[in-house]
Amino acid sequence: MTGDAARIRRQNKLGKGLFLLFFIGPALLIYAVYNIYPIFATFYYSLFDWTGIQTAKTFLGLENYANLMQDRVFFRSLGNNVLLVFASVFTQIPLGLALALLLQSKIKGMRFFRTVYFLPFLMSTVAIAILWMFIYNPTFGVLNELLADLGLQSLQRSWLGEKSTAMGAVIATICWQFVPFYMILLRAGLAGIPEELLEAARIDGCTAWKTFTRIKLPLLMPTIVTSATLSTIGSLKYFDLIFVMTEGGPDSATELMATYMYKQAFRFFSMGYASAISSCMFILAFIAAVAILSLDRLRSRGGY
Amino acid sequence: MTAMKKWVMILVSALLVFSLAACGGGATNSGSSQGSSSSSSSSSSSDSGSQAVSSGEKKKLTVWYIDTGKRKELIEETVQEFMKAHPDVEVVAEQIANDTYKTKLPVAMGGNNPPDIFHSWGGGWLKAFVDAGQVMDVTGKIDADSYLPAALNLATFDGKLYGAPLAMSLTLFFYNKEIFAQYGLEPPKTYDDLLNIIDTLNANGVAPISMANKTKWPGALWLIYLANRVGGSDIFNAAFERRGGTFDDPAYIKVGEMIQELVDRNAFVTGFNGLDYDTGQSRQFLYTGKAAMELQTSGYLTVVRSEMPDFEDKMGIFGFPAIEGGLGKATDLVGGVSPVFSISSQTKYPDEAVELLKALTSKELAQKYVDHAGVVVAVKDVQYNDPFAVQMKELLEQSDFLQPFYDQTLPPEMAELHKDTTQALFGKSMTPEEAARQMEEAAQRMLGN
Repeated sequence: MTGDAARIRRQNKLGKGLFLLFFIGPALLIYAVYNIYPIFATFYYSLFDWTGIQTAKTFLGLENYANLMQDRVFFRSLGNNVLLVFASVFTQIPLGLALALLLQSKIKGMRFFRTVYFLPFLMSTVAIAILWMFIYNPTFGVLNELLADLGLQSLQRSWLGEKSTAMGAVIATICWQFVPFYMILLRAGLAGIPEELLEAARIDGCTAWKTFTRIKLPLLMPTIVTSATLSTIGSLKYFDLIFVMTEGGPDSATELMATYMYKQAFRFFSMGYASAISSCMFILAFIAAVAILSLDRLRSRGGY
Repeated sequence: MTAMKKWVMILVSALLVFSLAACGGGATNSGSSQGSSSSSSSSSSSDSGSQAVSSGEKKKLTVWYIDTGKRKELIEETVQEFMKAHPDVEVVAEQIANDTYKTKLPVAMGGNNPPDIFHSWGGGWLKAFVDAGQVMDVTGKIDADSYLPAALNLATFDGKLYGAPLAMSLTLFFYNKEIFAQYGLEPPKTYDDLLNIIDTLNANGVAPISMANKTKWPGALWLIYLANRVGGSDIFNAAFERRGGTFDDPAYIKVGEMIQELVDRNAFVTGFNGLDYDTGQSRQFLYTGKAAMELQTSGYLTVVRSEMPDFEDKMGIFGFPAIEGGLGKATDLVGGVSPVFSISSQTKYPDEAVELLKALTSKELAQKYVDHAGVVVAVKDVQYNDPFAVQMKELLEQSDFLQPFYDQTLPPEMAELHKDTTQALFGKSMTPEEAARQMEEAAQRMLGN
């Protein structure tokens, strides 16, 4: 009897497993073909001297990686990526949170502002890049005109044309683009906080600031961690906006790992070396993601 | 419970292994077909065979080109006529945006799925594909005598011809005649004249020269011309072919200094290193009368005509002036060829492809290019009527030397370095000595001593 029951239970489970696989299968297959396989293929190609336009490859072992470790441009681009990570995490998320909190308050016309604030995220990256190129234009651009109107001619710059200002100008644009995304994410998080908790806090005479630091912020932590992970990984892989706005220039001032990889692959025809760069990007993004998630685990064990 | 999980795990991983194996299989297949195609071209990839079947019994040829606007229409017209004359051939001509094309073709070549006929600019970019065995040798298959030798040179490697040229581009000054008239200026004959013009315009609050150097090649045009005028016609080729010349020649250092002197003289518009040529940020200065001239390729004319037709009446052209004491001739021109059409070595129908190549670089099409697109062409015996084209053709006829754009001649990595160092020279973030040293170092590494 018990054997039968166990068998039936097992069969049920098996059926359920197959049933699940039926649903996951197609997506998993596509994921494997278009994501997992290319990752391993990239590692494989990074071991070769290969132009990408011919079939002949020369096996180099780890020589591409050894060269990479002595490549000044690579380290400059890595530095720019790190800068972008910090700028993104420490401006996009706080600003997104501030906007999310603002949008929660009951002011007239809030729905209008909500739409306006979300607009940048709806625009295509290339359109944003071109828009901001016109804003930064040293002669015709809005930014320099504005500075002139305020009598601040001394602050006028050719924003994208000078090594010292180009990276900052590009980072500002990237933040403008992504703040709305975190705003929506965090707004959803805020909406998920039970009303009773906030009501109880109100009854207990909790100030707005204390409600924020003691209730909203801790309960938002999982969302913030997700945002930080997304932001970090996104910044490490960032490519499109920079490529359109500056092509990594002037004089490599805004070069990122991804733009450098593109140049190696499609301008210099060193596909092997480019694969080594993208492998490094993968490893770095992976380490960053694991680090953030394990910090988060520590945090939740600590009970804060 | 755990047993079930195990089952699912096994199935899932089996699926994974299967999918990986499928990919691996695909990869080895294409590898082996490539191996055999190198020994005999007829047995090339099997998948293009199935393409031919699916499109009926017709022989299918694909063409990739980048010409836009009127030039695109003319190419399409030629393709239609070719199909009428060759009912057994189907031609699929695909127009691809310039920057996309530079990525798309290498990927197609690497993936063993190249177009039968493809665009290039000749020079180093084409040579990379020639070296990879991807381009068909057309020596003797097309009539070399019907093209200008200067243009044909860019598609000739080791004495073999790997393509045929259609249109050419020359680098010239485009200037605002009204502004020049207003301040009593004449197109400069010498470099000192040019410097005087720059000073006069600056004194009157007009930016002398517009330039959008984000993409780096517009600034490189200056370096190429100055090097030619200072160091003579052979300066680049002597260094590139490694016969006595170097890229850290004193002439190149002098040119770097001259560029930085021009920048110090406020010869260029503010922030030129961040301006984008493709979105018109340099032309904006000329259209609005805020700048007086721009050194650009002859494609400028086509762009002005579609973008700001009114400006054409005010616009004039002149060649790069002579430099006193320099070794170069004032008649030398900096230019290039675009398009050069080449045939892929993997084409299934080499004979038809050669016929199509001839049609795409024919005198008839060249004549239409001249009449409707206002360009100079690389094909001989063509009549010029467009006033700008006539002037360009005269400059071309006076000239016995055409210096190709460096970035189309150098191997890709050096081409990039050349543009990077030139942009840095313009931005004054690199000294002329350092720029020359980096170029020569790369040359020794890539071109030999």
